[in-house]
Formats: sequence, structure tokens, C-alpha cells
Amino acid sequence: MRTKLERCLAAVNEVVLGKEAQVRLAMACLLARGHLLIEDLPGMGKTTLSHTLARVLGLGFQRIQFTADLLPGDILGTSVFDPRSGRFTFHPGPIFAELVLADEINRATPKSQSALLEAMEEGQVTHEGTTHALPSPFFVIATQNPSNQGGTFALPESQLDRFLMRLSLGYPALAAERDLLLGTTRRALLAHIQPLLEPGELAEAQQAVSAVHASTAVVDYVLRLATVTRQSDAFGSGLSPRATLALLAAARAWAWLAGREYLIPEDVQAVLPAVAGHRLGHDSNSGDAQVRRLLDEVPVL
Amino acid sequence: MRRLPAARHVRLAPRQVFILPTRAGWALAAAVGPMLLVAVNYQNSPAYALTFLLVSLALVSLLHAWRTLLGVELRAGPAESTFAGQAACFQIFLGADSARSAIALGWPGMERVLVDIPETGEARVELLLPALRRGWLVAPRLRVESRFPLGLWVAWSGVDLQQQALVYPQPTSGSPMRSRAGGGDGDGQPAGEGVDDFRGLRQHQPADGARRLDWKAFSRGQGLRVKEFAAWAGGDWLLDLDSLPGPLEERLSRLCQAVLELCSEGRPFELRVAGKRLGPAIGAAHREACLRALALHGLGEAS
Amino acid sequence: MPRHALSWLLTAQLLVILPFVAYLPAWLVLLWLGCAAWRVQVYRMRVPLPPSWLKGLLLLAVLLGLALSSSGFDLNAAAALLVAAFILKVLEMHRRRDALVVVFLGFFVLVTGFLFDSGLLATLYSLVPFVALLAALIGLQESELARRPVRTLRLAGTLLLQALPLLLVLFVLFPRLGPLWSLPQVKQQGVSGLSDRMAPGDIVELSQSSALAFRVGFDGAAPPRTELYWRALTLERFDGREWSQDAAPAWPSAPQWQAQGEPLRYSVVMEPSNRTWLYGLDVAQTELPRVRQGADFRLEHWRPVDQPLLYPVTSWPAAVRELTAPAATLQRALQLPDAGNPQARLWARQLRADHDQPQALVQAMLSHFREQPYVYSLRPPPVGVHIIDDFLFASRKGFCLHYAGAMTFVLRAAGIPARLVVGYQGGEYNPSGNYLTVRQFDAHAWVEYWLPELGWQRVDPTFAVAPERIEQGLEQAVDEEQSFLADAPLNLLRYRDISWLNGLRLGWERINYGWQRWVLGYQADQQWRVLKEWFGILDGRALAGALLLLLGAPLLLLTVWLIAPWRRRADPLSRQYARFEALLARHGLRRAIGEGPRDFAERAAQALAAQREPILTFARLHEQARYADQSQSGHGLRAALTRLRRCLR
Repeated sequence: MRTKLERCLAAVNEVVLGKEAQVRLAMACLLARGHLLIEDLPGMGKTTLSHTLARVLGLGFQRIQFTADLLPGDILGTSVFDPRSGRFTFHPGPIFAELVLADEINRATPKSQSALLEAMEEGQVTHEGTTHALPSPFFVIATQNPSNQGGTFALPESQLDRFLMRLSLGYPALAAERDLLLGTTRRALLAHIQPLLEPGELAEAQQAVSAVHASTAVVDYVLRLATVTRQSDAFGSGLSPRATLALLAAARAWAWLAGREYLIPEDVQAVLPAVAGHRLGHDSNSGDAQVRRLLDEVPVL
Repeated sequence: MRRLPAARHVRLAPRQVFILPTRAGWALAAAVGPMLLVAVNYQNSPAYALTFLLVSLALVSLLHAWRTLLGVELRAGPAESTFAGQAACFQIFLGADSARSAIALGWPGMERVLVDIPETGEARVELLLPALRRGWLVAPRLRVESRFPLGLWVAWSGVDLQQQALVYPQPTSGSPMRSRAGGGDGDGQPAGEGVDDFRGLRQHQPADGARRLDWKAFSRGQGLRVKEFAAWAGGDWLLDLDSLPGPLEERLSRLCQAVLELCSEGRPFELRVAGKRLGPAIGAAHREACLRALALHGLGEAS
Repeated sequence: MPRHALSWLLTAQLLVILPFVAYLPAWLVLLWLGCAAWRVQVYRMRVPLPPSWLKGLLLLAVLLGLALSSSGFDLNAAAALLVAAFILKVLEMHRRRDALVVVFLGFFVLVTGFLFDSGLLATLYSLVPFVALLAALIGLQESELARRPVRTLRLAGTLLLQALPLLLVLFVLFPRLGPLWSLPQVKQQGVSGLSDRMAPGDIVELSQSSALAFRVGFDGAAPPRTELYWRALTLERFDGREWSQDAAPAWPSAPQWQAQGEPLRYSVVMEPSNRTWLYGLDVAQTELPRVRQGADFRLEHWRPVDQPLLYPVTSWPAAVRELTAPAATLQRALQLPDAGNPQARLWARQLRADHDQPQALVQAMLSHFREQPYVYSLRPPPVGVHIIDDFLFASRKGFCLHYAGAMTFVLRAAGIPARLVVGYQGGEYNPSGNYLTVRQFDAHAWVEYWLPELGWQRVDPTFAVAPERIEQGLEQAVDEEQSFLADAPLNLLRYRDISWLNGLRLGWERINYGWQRWVLGYQADQQWRVLKEWFGILDGRALAGALLLLLGAPLLLLTVWLIAPWRRRADPLSRQYARFEALLARHGLRRAIGEGPRDFAERAAQALAAQREPILTFARLHEQARYADQSQSGHGLRAALTRLRRCLR
């Protein structure tokens, strides 16, 4: 099982060049059943990453481009009058896919944003009194432009909390970019990717991840981290219990990917920037600084 | 006298805790004298006993005071950056393997903060230190003491947690002192064509693209016009230390104020200090970098 | 000043003052109430602290009140002043330092209280205000603990318990000095006892008092009750109405006597009597310094006994006393008023004529008392001018002083030197403690007469009249009359026939005796005796050594208990890891606070490439034990650490 996922990672890394760490984190996020927020400038390969992930894992893929005029119905689906039956029938929106890429989510109005986030949270869509379950697994990769770009609606803190991780891909390394320029286009590569996982295997892996052992020593470390953020004024808002749960879940996935059946503090440290960064600071810079500080100041033992 | 070596993390060992009688302790010693005299002169055994009980209690409370500090772990927490003229806030975490009561922490010559260490977990203390000058503010040796339980003895230790806080120059408002990049008086001039601001309309020339045609005017029959946009020349504010008049510290203070203002207005700016160019950019990281550069100008990076 | 500290202080004050109500003006409690209420209102910010003129006025008023309610400047007045200062200080208590002054004053007032009552109960009670004062001291500390009354009390109690061993060592070993200078004494109110002038009425008064006179602990078996004549003093002068001590007791001439027979050893714990004489069986000697043997064989202390006094006595019951008595002594023993009591004088002359031998004369008198209808009674009828005549020939009803007085009078009138001895007779034997309790109602008077070849001889006419008084005690002697402790219906001594009650009473008395004997009496001589016998300490240097040694031992024990190394770091895993870190730290590798064990091990393995394998092995085992909860990995830690240590050497 794990080797299969290793192969998946390798396959993704063939397409998304030079981003091994981020790809691994993204995979861990998926295994921990969390949603992913990628914050980056346009053109960094966010779409490619999510598309590749979907293909490799054999997931149904949908992409929603968020714009200022996007309506909730465009995401969730609408009722259309069927003249033959004389009734309204629900036409599911693009959200009814196993992996949804919500592109440039902060371009949309808060109303549309929250429609997506509510569906993410609840795992279902309620439309005119009828509940429509979202597929399982259900995984959202949302991308966001840096908030200092014009014409954006920054996601409020409460909604940022719904994303397990926030990643930033960043510019590719020089060598990776050379390969990018020399090689075939990503789009062509994507077309050739074959799914490496059978349906159901991902759920199996998720199951295995949640069985990773967390000793009290590690849990204490997580609690120490949370306590410092809660007590100190230096951290705008402390880590919520949801955040500590997320931290533990992500660390489990990371440990499992590393081939361990138990957690060590390094697992927590590895996922902490991605998991806690967006929960601690508004912009990525201050969040990262605070995470660095946490890593330095909080005793591991 | 042994002093603790500087460290970010200190656990008080038996030999590092010193004990002295407090004024209350001396007062008790003075009070025991007359009591003993009464006992001796009246040959009164219970009076002897009570006097001895006080002496015994003083000895026992000495051990308790010593014990209160023994094994206390002090850990340097983060220190907030601040501006000169304000107070820097240092955080210290205290822990121990059992509950401890009434531990006082403070810098020499300043007010002490009293804190209890809970049975489990840590206690957090924030200590303020006036930041007088920009640069690194290095916290002096910390005095940890306890008079618990009876206040007759003070157990104390000096601890250096190597704490330091960055002190930014004191922002002083005043004369206009920031300039647009490329010179000018601070208002800037539109220069050349850009995409930022709508400037007006001009007649269409064959080389113009279709994107900027004013279709609405065309439909009203006003002929083909092209919308013109202007870009700000250079675009961003430039803060240059060397171009300012006045003594160095004052210039730094004014630049500091400018950085704060520009950041709160959300405008991109560039800072030039001693040949270093920061930006142009916006955001907290840029602000941090600029303030740091101003704080440490001419002082060296390390403390 | 914290609120809890204030409440502790006020509580402690009340507790400290309370026992003084018995000795000092009761309005001091009202003063406390007023001051405490004011201080509480100050705390609640209803009223300000009193201005200085008001404080001055209050002080003046209190001083005036004390001056009015006391007679002269004695200890009671000094104590009242101290207590008043203790109370008034509350009104100017707004800083921590003032509170400390109040607490220390409180301790001092507690000590002063012992001058009034140093009994077991009073001493035990004083622990209550003591703990409250300690709690006030703790309350002055700004701690979460000090805000919780129960935890404060528990801490105060713990401190007290931990101080007890030290207290014991100090109490036993701290050298006792004699009084450095004389100080005003407590006026013992209502102390009744023998006096140097005795009229019959005084004995009646004493016989109604169950107050303790003294206790006696015998080294061996106690002598029979009929031999227990505790001499206090002799009354040699008779003025026709009452017997009194001769105006000029012959100090310089210690009497001659020869010890004979077996000595009797015992120790007496005497209650304060405010008199100089001590009690003992004839002929008594004591090792207590500054005690003299008087010309009449009494023991005379150098100053009035105002504190409980313990003294060891050796008595020679069979001693021969003054075979040749000084003329002055004999002359005093023959003194009679010039006139009065003609019938008695007449009877004396008849007796003298009938009996050659003085002993036969004495025997005749005793048989007269025995055979004629004389009655032993605590309620004798009133007598006229010739009190001896009226008693001997009219009422024939009386008690010891009547019989002894009459007999002395007749003997003197018959030309035989005789004197009246007052003291106590008998006592209540407490078998569980082998000691005797002598109370005021055991007061007794008997007769001594002098014979040229035999010296002084004791004779007790009361024994002839009412042998049960001597053999059993006063209660039995006046059984018919029902006059025993008639004024005190609740006195436990009246219910000696209820066995469980009597058992309780005897038990309590035994505890009190122990308190008197071992605690109150633990002064200079007693201390040296104990030190010699129990500790083998003979000189000051050995004492100082023992003091330091025995003080150090409990302190050391307490230190170990407080640090409790066995309680700290119970987790062996953490201990092993701390050793691992210390080992690497010696090679310049320190784990940063935020550095995980695995990262650190890898860094260390890189830095110490030669020891890579043992380092990683230890780290792996530690990781598995700590994070994978595989406890068996923990067992290998020690071995791995040893291997690493060897490799690093």
C-alpha cells in the first residue's frame, strides 16, 4: 500500500518538477482527509499539481474558476425545470467530484466562498431541502492569490481554519525550471498519466494513517505548542482544538508516508508550518515567522 | 560567588540558590530575644517552648524557601520588538516538578512580578524593560527570588537567560520626508503610458489595439477614441537615509515613522539604508525587514 | 495588605487575647471588637484609617482606663498594656510591615500569657492562636495558596509539625539559666494556703478548697498514709486567739540532728504559694540551691515560690532532732499569754502532778481526747474569750487546729516545751503514677514536744479523736457531717466513689503531674540531672556538641524529605536520555530546545562520524520506547548508553 503511494508521489514529481516537499505535504493532507489551500502567484503550477494528483490517484477531477460574479449555484448545482416530468430536477454542480480544484478562491465574493466551504465542512450539499451527499473521498484544493493583489476577498480566519494545510509552491528551482522549459509540456504529460490506485485503495490508506500510534509524549508536545500560542500575545489567535486535531492528523499521515507506525516530534515539526501557518498569521510571512518561533522555542521533550 | 552561566534554559541547582534573612527575619530574631528573656527570668517552660518553636519554624522555613526555588526551570520565551522610548516585553516561562508558590522575578532595581508555578504545566511571566536606544536590547541578569512560606528568608538566584529584544528607532513625526523614487516633492508625476490610472481619451491611431477603444463613445457616434492610462513614474515611495538632512538618529527616527505610515496606508515603498536596498514591496515582512535595518544601522547584526 | 492576611490577623488577635479575659480588664475585648470592626470597614473603604490625633486620644483613653483598673505597676498592668498595644496596632496597620509588627507582638503576648497560666491546657490552647499567626504570615505572601484558607492552614500545620523535632531538641538541650534579674510577679488571685498566722477559721476555709498544693513522686514505695506529715512551718506564738510564727525566726542557727534509719527519697512539684516555705517529711533535705533548713526544721526557699517549683527531697523519718536544744528555742516553746484559759492551766497542773514522765502525761492527754466525747467537726460552735477552755471543757467539737492548739497550750502550761506544726497530712495516692496529690483541704496541724533525751517528738491529737482523718482523709472524717467540699457541689473530688469518673480524674491528674514534673519543672537542676542520666552529658562543651548534632539531624532529614530525590524524574526514560544529552554535551553537541531527538541524533551522528552507529542505536531505542510505546526497548537503553560512552572515550 505504502509502496503504491510512493509510486504515486514519484509520478506526480515527474510532472511537478522540483517540489517534492510540497507534493509530499499535499499527499499527506489528502491522506489525513483534509483540504488543501495553495497560496501562490499565478503560473506556479497549482493547477498542474492538483490535476496530476487527481489523475494519479484515480480521482474524478473538477475545476471551478472563482470569479467575482460566481454564484453559489455555479458551485453547488441548480434546479432546472424539466418540461417532460413537469418538475424541477437538481443538476449537481462541479463540486460533485472527488477532487475539486477551486481556483483563485479569493476572487469570488464571500457568499460564494462560504458556499464552497460549507459544503467542504459538511461533506454534503443541501439544496431546496434535499441533501445531496458529496462523493467520498472528497478533497478540495483551493488556490488563492496573495491577498495584496487587487480585487480579492481575503478568506476570513474562521474559514482558513477549514483547510488542513496551506502550502506555497514558490518559484521552481533553476534546474527544475530548465527541465520544465526543455521537456514536453505539462499538459501533454498529464494526458499520459495512468491512475496508480484502484478505487477504494485511497480509503484504505486513509484508514491506515488514522491507525498510526500517537504516544503521550508527542501529544504533550502538540499541547505545549498549542498552549504557547494561546498564552502568548505574540500570536494573534491561538491554535484551536480543531487545529491541534488537524496537526496530529497531518503528522500521522506524514509519519505513515515515512514508513512509521508511530509519531515522532519531527513529524509534527514537518507539518507544522503547513498546518499552523495560516491559522496563526494573516499573511504567509508573519505566519511562517511565528511557526519558526514555535519550533525554536517550544521544548520537544 | 558562583553565578549561573548564560543560557536560554536554566534549572536552578542547590548550589545556585542563595539564602539571606529578610527584614522580617531580622525582626523575628530581634523579637526572639525578649521572649527568651521572659522565659529565663520567669523560669517558664512554655515560654521557652514557644520561643524555641519560633526558632525552629524559622529554620524550617529556611529550608522551605530554599526548596521553593530549587529545581525551578526558567526558559526564555520570545521577546517582542519595540520602539525606542517604549518598554520591551520579555517572556519567561517557569516550570517545576511540583507546585511552587510566590516566586518573584525581576530585573535588578525594578519591580518584581510574583507568580505561582502550577502543579503541572508552566507559568508565564512578562517582564518589561524600558528600551532607551535602538538596537539590540540585552536583558540584564534576572533575579529570581522567593520568600515563601513565612517571609523570613529570601531565597534568590541570578539567572541570565540571554534574552534580547530588537528596539526600533523611535518614530518621530514631523516634516515631509519621504520622496517618490526618481526624485520629486512627494506627490509624483504621471509619466508615460501605463495601466494604472485612467488619464483621458485621444484619437485612435492605427497602431492602437482594439482593447482600449472606447466602444461606448464610438456607438454614440463620437468616432474612434482610445482610452489612455498613465503609470506612476517609478510607482513606489523611496525612503533614503542618505538623502535626508539632519543628525543620524533623527533621520532614522523619521524614516521609521515613514515606514510605519506607508505600511498602514498599504503603499509599496523602497528603503535604502547604507547601501542596502529593501523593496520596493509591501507587507509585514517588508515592514519588519525595514524596521530591523533601521534599528541595526551602524550597530552590526549581532548583539 | 491582602484580604486573607487581614482576616487571619484579626482571627489570631481574638484567639491570642481570649485567655487574658480571666486576668485582665474585660473591656479589652470590647476594645478589640471596636478596633477590628473599624479595620474591616477601612478595608471595605467605608471609613478612612483614624487620623493621628484620634489615635493619640484613643491611646490616652486606654492608658487612663488601664491606670484606673489596675493597682500600681505590676506584671498584670504591664501585660494589659502589651495587650492594649497589640490591639491598637491594628488601627495603624496598612502596610506589610505593620502587619508583621502585629504578628510578632502576637507571639510576644502569647509568651506573656504563660506567666499567668502555664498549665497543660493553656499551653495546648496557645497552639491555636500560634497557628493562626503563622497563617497570617503565610497570608502576607502573595500566592494563590495564601488565598485559600484551608491550604494555608494545612501549610501552617505542616510547618509546625516539621518544627516540632527541632523544638524538642532545643527544649531539652538549651541550657537553662537562673533568673537574670528579679521581675514583677503575677498576682495570683485567690491563692489560698497556709499562712504564718493561723486562727481556726483559716483552716476551715482551706478545708473547703480542693486546689492543688503540691504533688509528690516517690522513688520507691510510698510510706503509709499515717506517716505522711508534710511540714510547712511551726507556729510558736500564741496570743490567746491565734497562733503565729515567732517574730524573729532564728536563721543563723541551723538545728542539730542526726540522721538515722532508712532515708526516703522523693521529689515535690509545688504549686505557687507566694510563700517561702517548702514542704517535706521530717527531717527533709534538698539539693535545690538557695534553700535553707530553718531552726524549726522547715525548708525555706530564698524567695516566695511564684512559679511551679520542682525540688528533690531526702527525708530521714527516724532522725533524732535537737537532743540539746538552744535555750532560745526552748524558751519560745514555752511561751504562753500572761492570762486566760484558767481551766486549761489548772488541768495542766493536775496532769503534771499525776504524771512524772512527760510521755505519760502526753499519753494521758491523748486518752482523754479519745475517751471523752470529743467530736471532729468542720462546723464547731462559736467560742468565747477563753477559746481553749471553751473548746476543751464546753463544746468539745473542733478540728485539727483546735486539738493541736489546745494540746500545745496544755503541754506548755505543764512545763513541757511544745509547738504547733502546720502543714499537710496525707494526700491522694495515684497508683498509676506512683505519686501523691496533696490539696489544700489536706491542710493539717499537729504538735511537737521536746524531751531532753529524745529531742523533738511528734504527736497528733486529731488522730486520737478521729483516726479516719489520718488513715483515710478528710472526706471520711466528716462523712456524717456532710461538710466535705460543701460549697462546691460540682467538684469532681466529691464523686470519688463513681469509679469511671474517678478513673478519668486520676488519669487527667496524672497527665498534669507529668506536665508539672517534666515540663514546667524542667529548669536548671532538673535539666542537668536529665542530661547526666539520659545523655551522659556532663559539661557545657558536650552540651553544645549535642545541641548542634541533634539540631542538624532533623534539619538534614527534613532537607532530604523536601528535595525527595526519589520522587523527582521517576521516568527512567527521561533519565537515560538526560545522560545521553549530557554525554554528547561534553563533546560540544547540545540539543536545541526545539530540536527533536531524531534530528539531534542525526546531527550528532554526522558530527561524531566514528560513533555514528552507537548514537543512532541509542536514538532508535529511545524513540521506540518513548514514541512507539515499546517498553522493552527501554531496557536496552542503559546498555546502548554504556556502549556509546565507551566509544566516546
